[in-house]
Amino acid sequence: MSNESKLSLKRLLWANPRGFALPLFLGVVASLAGVALLGISGWFLSAAGLAGVLGTYKAFNYFLPGALVRLMAILRTAGRYGEQVFAHDHLLGLLKTLRLWVWDQRVAKDSANLHQQSRGDLLQRLVSDLDQIIRWPLVVLMPWVYATLAYLSVLVLASFISTTLLWPIIIAAVIHLLVVPYLCGHFASRAVHVGQILGTHRRSRFVSLFSALITLTIRGHWQQYAERLNELDTRQKQAELRIQKAISLGRLASYSVTIALLCSFFLLVMRYQPQTNGLSLVPGVDGAWLVALVLSVLAVNELVLPLAQSFVAQGQSQVGLRRMNQLHTDASEENIALGLPLARVKSLELINWRGYHASSGLGNKPISLKVATHETIWLRGNSGCGKSTLLASLAGDCLAEGGALVNDQRMDLYDNQDYQAQISYLPQTPYVFQQTLAANLRLGDENATEESLWEVLDAVALGDWARSLPKGLDTLLGAQGRDLSGGQRKRLVLARLLLRNAPVLLLDEPFDGLDSESIQCICTSLQRIYRPEILVFISHINSPLSEKATIINV
Amino acid sequence: MFKREKAPKKARQGRVKTPELMFLNEWAGRQSKRYRLVQLLGVVFTVAMIMQAWSLANVFSDMVIHGAFSVSILFIALTALLIRALVSFGRERLSASASRSIRYSLREKLVSHLTKLGPARLRIEEDAALSTRVYEQVDALDDYYSRYKPQLFMVSLIPCVILLAMLPVSWVAFAIFMVTAPLVIFFMILVGHKAAQANRRQFNVLAMLSNQFMDLNQGLAELKRLGRTGQAKERLSDSASAYQKTTMGVLRLAFLSTATLELFASIAIAMIALYLGLGLLEQLPWSKGVSPVSLTQAFFILLLAPEFYLPLRQLGNDYHAKQKAEAAATALLEIFNTSLSRSEEQAKEDAQTVSKPSHLSVVKTHPASLLTFYKLSWQEAGRSRLAPISNHIRTGERIWLSGESGVGKSSLLHLLLGFEEGYQGECFVEDKEFSSVDLAQWRARLAWLPQTPEWVNGSIRQNLLLGIDTPTDEALQAALTKSQCDVFIEALPDGLETKLTELGAGLSGGQMQRLSIARALLSKADVWLLDEPCSGLDEETATAVLDTLNLASKGKTLLVVSHDTHPIAWADRHWTLTHGGLHEQRIQAIA
Repeated sequence: MSNESKLSLKRLLWANPRGFALPLFLGVVASLAGVALLGISGWFLSAAGLAGVLGTYKAFNYFLPGALVRLMAILRTAGRYGEQVFAHDHLLGLLKTLRLWVWDQRVAKDSANLHQQSRGDLLQRLVSDLDQIIRWPLVVLMPWVYATLAYLSVLVLASFISTTLLWPIIIAAVIHLLVVPYLCGHFASRAVHVGQILGTHRRSRFVSLFSALITLTIRGHWQQYAERLNELDTRQKQAELRIQKAISLGRLASYSVTIALLCSFFLLVMRYQPQTNGLSLVPGVDGAWLVALVLSVLAVNELVLPLAQSFVAQGQSQVGLRRMNQLHTDASEENIALGLPLARVKSLELINWRGYHASSGLGNKPISLKVATHETIWLRGNSGCGKSTLLASLAGDCLAEGGALVNDQRMDLYDNQDYQAQISYLPQTPYVFQQTLAANLRLGDENATEESLWEVLDAVALGDWARSLPKGLDTLLGAQGRDLSGGQRKRLVLARLLLRNAPVLLLDEPFDGLDSESIQCICTSLQRIYRPEILVFISHINSPLSEKATIINV
Repeated sequence: MFKREKAPKKARQGRVKTPELMFLNEWAGRQSKRYRLVQLLGVVFTVAMIMQAWSLANVFSDMVIHGAFSVSILFIALTALLIRALVSFGRERLSASASRSIRYSLREKLVSHLTKLGPARLRIEEDAALSTRVYEQVDALDDYYSRYKPQLFMVSLIPCVILLAMLPVSWVAFAIFMVTAPLVIFFMILVGHKAAQANRRQFNVLAMLSNQFMDLNQGLAELKRLGRTGQAKERLSDSASAYQKTTMGVLRLAFLSTATLELFASIAIAMIALYLGLGLLEQLPWSKGVSPVSLTQAFFILLLAPEFYLPLRQLGNDYHAKQKAEAAATALLEIFNTSLSRSEEQAKEDAQTVSKPSHLSVVKTHPASLLTFYKLSWQEAGRSRLAPISNHIRTGERIWLSGESGVGKSSLLHLLLGFEEGYQGECFVEDKEFSSVDLAQWRARLAWLPQTPEWVNGSIRQNLLLGIDTPTDEALQAALTKSQCDVFIEALPDGLETKLTELGAGLSGGQMQRLSIARALLSKADVWLLDEPCSGLDEETATAVLDTLNLASKGKTLLVVSHDTHPIAWADRHWTLTHGGLHEQRIQAIA
C-alpha cells in the first residue's frame, strides 16, 4: 500500500489478495461441506430407509454415501481450522501494514502540527479503530461469500428436484443476502456513527473533568458537571440499544424468511389430499431428495443468521476507516523540490525574524541576527519572552515569519529536512526513547563504536553514572526502564547530538539543574573535541561558554 | 468492598473462586430476574427444538416412504421453528438489556467511586488510563454478560435434554453422544487452558507494541530532526512481524480447541448417520437383517445430532469472552479496592476519641489560629503515610512546607481538601473538629493550586470562572494584572477566548501557573493550598512565578508544599516534614 493513498476497504482487500484468497477458499470448503454433511446424511437416511422398506437393500450401494459423509465431516473440520488460522495470519499482516501506514502519516505531518492529536486519541485510533478495520474481511466479507455460495449449491440441488423450486430460493437468497443486511446496516449505521462520536467525546470530557476534579468539587459544582457526563453515557446507551435492536430484528427476519421458504417448498411440490388431511408429493419429485433439500436449507439458515450482525460491523469498519483517514496527511505538501542539496552551513542570518506557536500565535518579538562559522551566540531574556520559541524556529521546528538566509541564500527553515540534517537542536524538554542507553545514543550516529559512546558520555559527565549501571550501555531507559532525572535526560540527549557531529548546535538551557562540575565538563567538551562550527544557546546562568559569546537580548 | 460482601457466599459454596469471578457474578446477580427469564426461554427453546425434530422426522419419513404426510404434523414442525426464532429473539434482547443495565450501572458506580477517591485516584493510574478502564474495560464485559452467561445454562440444558430424548429411541446413539460429550469437554478444557495462558501473554505483547509506537510517536520531532524516521519504521515493522509470528503460534493452539470440537461434532454426526443408514439397510455387522431403528427415529436422531454439539461449539467460540471479562474485572476491581473508607478498627478508635474529653482546651493556646493539628497522623494498610504532627496556622499566615517525597505532604493537603477521612488525632478549623465542619462551606474557602494546573477543555475565560459567579470585568482585569497574566493574554490572538486543551494550547508551564493564581484570586478563597507549584518549571520561571505568588497572595492564608530547590523566601514560617514529625525552621536561616 502506498503512503500517499487514503485507506478504503477495497484497498485493504487488494493489499494482499493471495493472503486473503486462501482462507476464503478454505472457508468456502468448510461451509459447503457443512451444508453437504446434513444434506447427504438426510438423503442417505431417506434412501436407505426406502430401500429397507422396499427390500432392495442388497442392490443399495451404501459405501459411496458413507464415504462422502465421512469426507464432508473431515473437510468441514479441516477447512474451518485452516480458514481460522490463515485468516488471522492475513489479519495480522493487515495490522502491520496499517500500523506502518499510520506511522507514515505521522512522519509526513509537519512539526508544528505534530501534536494536534492527543496521546489518548491516537492510542484509541491505533488500537480500537485498527481493530474495527482489520476484522472487516473476517466478520463481513467472508460470511457473506459463504452464505452466497451455500445458496448457490442449494439452487443446484433444487434444480435436480423441480425447477419450480428455484424461484422461491432465489427470492429468499435476495432477501437474506441483500435486503436484510442492507436494512440492518441502514438502521444501525446512524447509531454506529453516533456511538463512535459519542465515545470519543465522552472520553475527552471524562479526562477533562477529572483533571479538574478537585477544583470543581471544592467549588461545589462537580455534581452538575458529572451529570453532563452521565447524560453522554445515557445517549451512548440509546445508540447501543438501537444497534442491538437492529441486529436482533434482522436475525428474526432472516429466520422468518427461512420458514417461509420451507413452506413454499411444501406448497409447490405437494398436493393437498382432503380425505386424509395430508399432503402428497406431486409425481416426478423424489422424497429423499426433498429431505436433503430441506435439511440443506436449515443448514444454510445457520450461515445466513450472522449476516445481520456483519453489516453493523461493516458500519463500524467504515467509521474506523474514516477516523484513520483523518490522520492522513497529503504528502504533496512537503518535500518541495529544493534544487541543489544544501552545502555545509557556514552562516545563518535572520531578518525581522519571529518564531511563533501554531496554536496560540505566541512567540518572540521580531529580531535580526547573524552568526557565522566559529561564532557563538548567547540568547538571553526574561522568562516568557519567547527565546525558546525563537530557538525552535531557528531549528526549523516551529513556524516563523521574516527572512532567513543560510550561506547568504534565502531559505525556508521550517520543516526543511536538508537544513535540519545540519542542525543539532536540544529542546527544553528533550525526549529519551524507551530503548537501551546505547540505542538512544546511536540515534545520533548509527555506526558509533562502543568506544565513542563512552567517550561522548564522558564528555557530558554521564560516564561515571553509566559505568555504575549494572547493565552499562545495555540499560533500558524510559517508562519501563530506568528513570532519568531532568539533568541526566538533557545530558543524554546532548550526548546523542554531539555524536551527530552537525555543524550547527542549538541548545536550550543545557545547564538547567546541573552542578557546576558537570557544567564545567560539558563546556570543556563543547570548546574542544565536540566543538560545533556554530553554537547558539539559551541560558540564564553564566558559564565558560558565555565568555566568547555574542550576547543577544531577546 | 466487594470482597467483604462476598465473603459469606464464598464460605457457603466452599469452592475457591477468583475475586474476578466473584465480582462478575455479583454484578450478574443484580440482573437475576432477567437472567431467570432468559433461562426460562432457554427451556422453551429446547422443548421447541425437540418438538421440531420429532415432527420433521415424521414428515420426512412419511414423505420418503409414502410420498405423503399429514398437514397437522407439518404445522407442528413449522410452529416449532417459529417458536425457536421468536424465543431466540427474546433471549437476545433480554440478555443484551441485562448486559446493558449491568454495564451502565457499573460505570456510574465507578465514576462516583473515582469522584470520592479524589486525588487518591491518581495512585491507581493517570486520568487517561482510568478513562480506558471506565469505558473500554466496562464494555469488554458485554460479551460475557450478553452471550457467555446465558450460554452457560444452555450448554448444560440442551445436551441433557437431547440425551434424555435419545434414551427411548436408540441405545447406540445415546452411547455415541454419551462418550463424545465428555471427550469434547475434556479436550476443550485441555487445549483451551493452554491457549488461555498463551493468550494472556499475548495481551501484554500487544500492549508493548502500542507502547513502542506511542514512544516513537512521542519523540517523533526528535527522530525527524535526527533523520531517523526510516529506522524507526523498520523497528515498528520488525516488532509487528515478530508479533505476527508469536500470535499465530498462540492462535494455532487456540483454534485447535475449536477444531477439536468441530472434529468431534462432525465425526459424531457422520458416525450416527452411517450407523442409522446401515441400520436401516439392515447391514450392521452385529445385527444383519434387523433394523434397530425405524426411519422416523433415524431422522429424529439425525436432526438432533448437530444440536447436541452446537451449544458447546458456541461456548467454545465465546470462551475468549470470559477471558476478556476476567482481565477487565481485574482492572475494575483495582479501582473498587482502592478505598478511602475507614477500617472498622479505625472507626472504633474514632468512637473512643469522641468519648474522650477534647484536647481542644490543651492546644487552643492561639486564639487566632485558623487550623490546628493535634497529633494528626494518617496510616494506611499498616504503613504510616503521615507521622503525627501538632501545630497551628493563624489566619493570614503563609507557610512553606518542605520535606522528602513520600512523607505525607500531599496527604496533608488532600486531608484539608476533605478527600481523606481515615486520619488519627485531631484537626480543627477555628474551634470546630474537622469532621464536624460543613464541608461545602469549608471547601468554598479553599483554592487549590497543584503541580499540574487543573484545566477543563474550554476557553481561558471558562476555566478562570470555573464554578464561580461571573465577576465584573474590572475584577477580572484586576486579577489578571495581579497574577501578571494580562501581558501574555493580550498577546494571544483570541485573548481570553483562547481554547485550552489537555495539550495546553501553547502556553508555557509558568503561564499556566499564573492562570491558576488568577483563578484563585477570582474565587475569593482565603485559604490557598499549593502542591509543588514550581516543580517542572525551570529555575528562572519558577522564581518569577513565586514572585508573582508572593504579591498576589498577601493577606491570604497559604500552605505551600515546595521542595528545598524552590525555597519560598517570603513565607512567614517554614515547616519541614520528616518521617519523625513536623519541625519548624527559622525562616531567616534560609532567606
